[in-house]
Amino acid sequence: MFTLPQKESKAPTTCPGPASTQDLDSNHGDGLERECSRKPDWKLPEFCGVGDPTATASSDSSHLSSRGSIIKWFWDSAEEGYRTYHMDEYDEDKNPSGIINMGTSENKLCFDLLSRRLSQSDMLRVEPSLLQYPDWRGHLFLREEVARFLSFYCKSPAPLKPENVVVLNGCASLFSALATVLCEVGEAFLIPAPYYGAITQHVYLYGGVRLVCVYLDSEGVKVKGLILINPQNPLGDIYSPGELRDYLEFAKRHKLHVMVDEVYMLSVFEKSAGYHSVLSLEGLPDPQRTHVMWATSKDFGMSGLRFGTLYTENRDVATAVASLCRYHGLSGLVQYQMAQLLRDRDWINQVYLPENHARLKAAHTYVAGELRALGIPFLGRGAGFFIWVDLRKYLPEATFKEEMLLWRRFLDNKVLLSCGKAFQCKEPGWFRLVFSDKAHRLCLGMQRVRQVLEGKSQVPDDPASCQSQESGNQRSGGETPPAVL
Amino acid sequence: MSHRLGMFRMPSAQMRGQGLRNQRIHTHLMEMMLHLKQTIEKNLMHLTTRHLQQDLVLEEQRHSQAASEQEALLGRLMYQLVNLLQSGAMGGLGLQPSCPSLDVRHDVRGGQWAQSPRQPDWPVHQLSDLEATFVSQHLSSRGIDISALYHSSFQDYKIYQRDKYHEDKNTMGFINLGLSENKLCLDLMTERLSQSDMNYIEDDLLQYPDWRGQPFLREEVARFLTYYCKVPDQLDPENVVVLNGCSSVFSTLAMVLCDPGEAFLIPAPFYGGFAFSACLYSKVELILVHLDSEVTDANPHPFQLTVDKLEQALLEARLTGKKVRGLILINPQNPLGDVYSRDSLQGYLEFAKKYHLHVIIDEIYMLSVFDEFITFHSVLSMESLPDPNRTHVIWGTSKDFGISGFRFGVLYTHNREVASAVSSFGYLHGISGIAQHKLCRLLQDREWIDKVYLPTYRSRLQIAHGYMTKKLEALGIPFLNRGSGLYIWMNLKMYLDPCTFEEELLLHRRFLDNKLILSRGRTYMCKEPGWFRITFADKPLLLKQAMHRFYQVLSEQKQDLIMKQLENAQRE
Repeated sequence: MFTLPQKESKAPTTCPGPASTQDLDSNHGDGLERECSRKPDWKLPEFCGVGDPTATASSDSSHLSSRGSIIKWFWDSAEEGYRTYHMDEYDEDKNPSGIINMGTSENKLCFDLLSRRLSQSDMLRVEPSLLQYPDWRGHLFLREEVARFLSFYCKSPAPLKPENVVVLNGCASLFSALATVLCEVGEAFLIPAPYYGAITQHVYLYGGVRLVCVYLDSEGVKVKGLILINPQNPLGDIYSPGELRDYLEFAKRHKLHVMVDEVYMLSVFEKSAGYHSVLSLEGLPDPQRTHVMWATSKDFGMSGLRFGTLYTENRDVATAVASLCRYHGLSGLVQYQMAQLLRDRDWINQVYLPENHARLKAAHTYVAGELRALGIPFLGRGAGFFIWVDLRKYLPEATFKEEMLLWRRFLDNKVLLSCGKAFQCKEPGWFRLVFSDKAHRLCLGMQRVRQVLEGKSQVPDDPASCQSQESGNQRSGGETPPAVL
Repeated sequence: MSHRLGMFRMPSAQMRGQGLRNQRIHTHLMEMMLHLKQTIEKNLMHLTTRHLQQDLVLEEQRHSQAASEQEALLGRLMYQLVNLLQSGAMGGLGLQPSCPSLDVRHDVRGGQWAQSPRQPDWPVHQLSDLEATFVSQHLSSRGIDISALYHSSFQDYKIYQRDKYHEDKNTMGFINLGLSENKLCLDLMTERLSQSDMNYIEDDLLQYPDWRGQPFLREEVARFLTYYCKVPDQLDPENVVVLNGCSSVFSTLAMVLCDPGEAFLIPAPFYGGFAFSACLYSKVELILVHLDSEVTDANPHPFQLTVDKLEQALLEARLTGKKVRGLILINPQNPLGDVYSRDSLQGYLEFAKKYHLHVIIDEIYMLSVFDEFITFHSVLSMESLPDPNRTHVIWGTSKDFGISGFRFGVLYTHNREVASAVSSFGYLHGISGIAQHKLCRLLQDREWIDKVYLPTYRSRLQIAHGYMTKKLEALGIPFLNRGSGLYIWMNLKMYLDPCTFEEELLLHRRFLDNKLILSRGRTYMCKEPGWFRITFADKPLLLKQAMHRFYQVLSEQKQDLIMKQLENAQRE
């Protein structure tokens, strides 16, 4: 029978971001499905640090299936986070004392450019074929454009082929689909931690697949693939061609699929960083097991647009993923707009990318300067929207409980960050700080961060201040995990 | 009747997935297959004897004939699978294209992994290379199943995508009257969607959304449904979840209401997409409530759904140990075109309540009722739902607004738990903010919908339906004359000799050979061979061309039948 997920208060959670789900799952990433593959049925993930115990209690529902209760848990944890952030969202005029979001990895620097571009007349075409049932892999015109686009920006040695492209509504769907077609229930992907925690949910919901962090003991679990994020999230690291090749050779030796998530590939704002897409390599070690993902969410700052694409030379995989596309399709009109956007190389190269990079760099420089002034160590690699910040010295004890208390302290001071636990980081005390936002919000956010840190170094720990203001249904006591966003 | 050959599938999936890769388990698989064969034979024996006990003489003959045919087919299939295994073990990927998809075809057309003792259609037709082999050393076994399932289910659609009829550019292309797509109002929709209010971009639309759907859209959906479903009280936007299509909504409901292997009841014939969705992600079984075309005292209307039939199917399923979690209803029905009366609806819902069943009710054709004498009753219009916490309504714009390419589906449920659980999937079934804005504007424009769109749409449906029914009458083809939906359910059994699903498939192929796609009864799990669904919601010119091809095929078929009968007579 189904037993309720047990809450473990010692395992803190999560981090916020209004995009909610993106981080919420990571807190049980290591707990999903302890054993594997013998029985094809679903097993209960082991939940650690679940936000709301009443939500888990109510999951013993006569209305939901066992797996339905687990699935609902994902939402409830996110829902709780929404309450915290969305009930008190910062607005320059209407709510200047609201919460500043430095937790969600979204690029808010270029809406002006994007909305202008998306409003141009070439975007507004409506034609019957766009309104009818499509080719589920994505309209051909779009797949052709994606192939050209990736050939150019990934510097592929030979032109990429539209037949190898599958388009769907975001990289989340792509992770889900790949997990489903590459793994059986209970099998796993390897992923270097810390990593973008939302992947846990993506591969679990439909696929029943778990993630094994490279530092975890993976005994008893059948590992089917390796997930690489390049540029890395949350570290901002960029893999060199040599490193990439090593990872790919490793995967080949172990017959692992490699899913390379290159969703930040155009968000490398330091020219010196020298980014190399896996598609640029001459002779992939195992092309049939190498699957590349890209999307417009980050590089074009349009996470709400829901556009993601897979590039794989493996036709079986492309076909299998395409078979799921009925469930992960995107509107024909949006497909048309995406094709127009990707086609407009002049605008991208001469307007969008230079401007976007300049703004990212300026924002990064500002935040990096602030951190330096505070004497805080950090990794700032010149790619992505975030800085991986080492706040270990602000934890009285090196525990995730303390990390969470600090996280809550930030939230109480109306600034939302993501804590390392949400990325399955091994050491407590790391935080991800998103800087790709407008200057005034960034200033205010950093000011609030500083207040907390300076206050922290002066004032002794006060448990009372650690309680969330919003969530009435949380368990009492400072150890309650924060709302998950 | 809800017989199952369920054990048949999983081993075959495993065979494809693993056996081919690993010679060591080759022998083991062979043994397993032998065992499988025995099991199936036993099962067939059981089925046969069961019918002997229960049915009338005619039925008896039919069933035992079906069973023996089935047995022969299975024998052949086993043989082929053995070959497949051998070749697979030798050559890794080098398999004959036809074999691996065989059983999958059966599964799909059978609609579930586990259905229907009737004769499956694989052996009669040589499989085309379209159904390329999906035995891959790279995919998981479920991945292989998914590919194969997709390809066999949507083969016609793929052919059509490659070679579409166009009145100027490709007059020899395929005409697709097999797909239920509303192409009557593309002019209106194109015009409306091109208006300036549609093109609006703001920050919010480009950022991570509320995964249940943007609040502005959920509010509009609640207002829209309140109005068009004639709901006594205002619907609550908090009960609305918006995803990228009704298939997604159904898929998520199946995930959160059932555990794998649990089941929904569904009256057959029914829209085959449910079968596809049920086995794709959620691994939920569908228990068919077979409806009869023949009118009798107990069955006053053809294909009438009664509470008795529901009860009987439920009890039978429970006897076999199935855990039935819910009932799926489609209203207006697809493919029959029936619209349930208020009383019938009430009856079905009371039945569901009595047995604690969820009811998933798909009202995707609710605005496509074109006969003014027929009143559609949404379940949402009922004064008090018998079991509101177990009643879940699906609607979308694909059919009623003819924008299937828009990917928009709605769940309305009073059950917040269910809504929350479904919302977890928002990430995987999200709609672009830009599209959400357009949808909101569309649903908001009541003036245009009521005064321009719906009147035009319905009158065009009426005309197209009138044209099609006249043609069918002239050909003497029996059909259900209903006033809703985009299609007609017709009976072509007089063109089949013998009246079997194999012959039905052959006729279907014959239509295809003449570049006409229809959908055949088998894909709707109809238990009687010979039924076809033909879509009429297309432009008059295209319909005319289609009916021309239709007529030609039937003439050929008729001549063949005559020849066949002559030969038989001579032989005797």
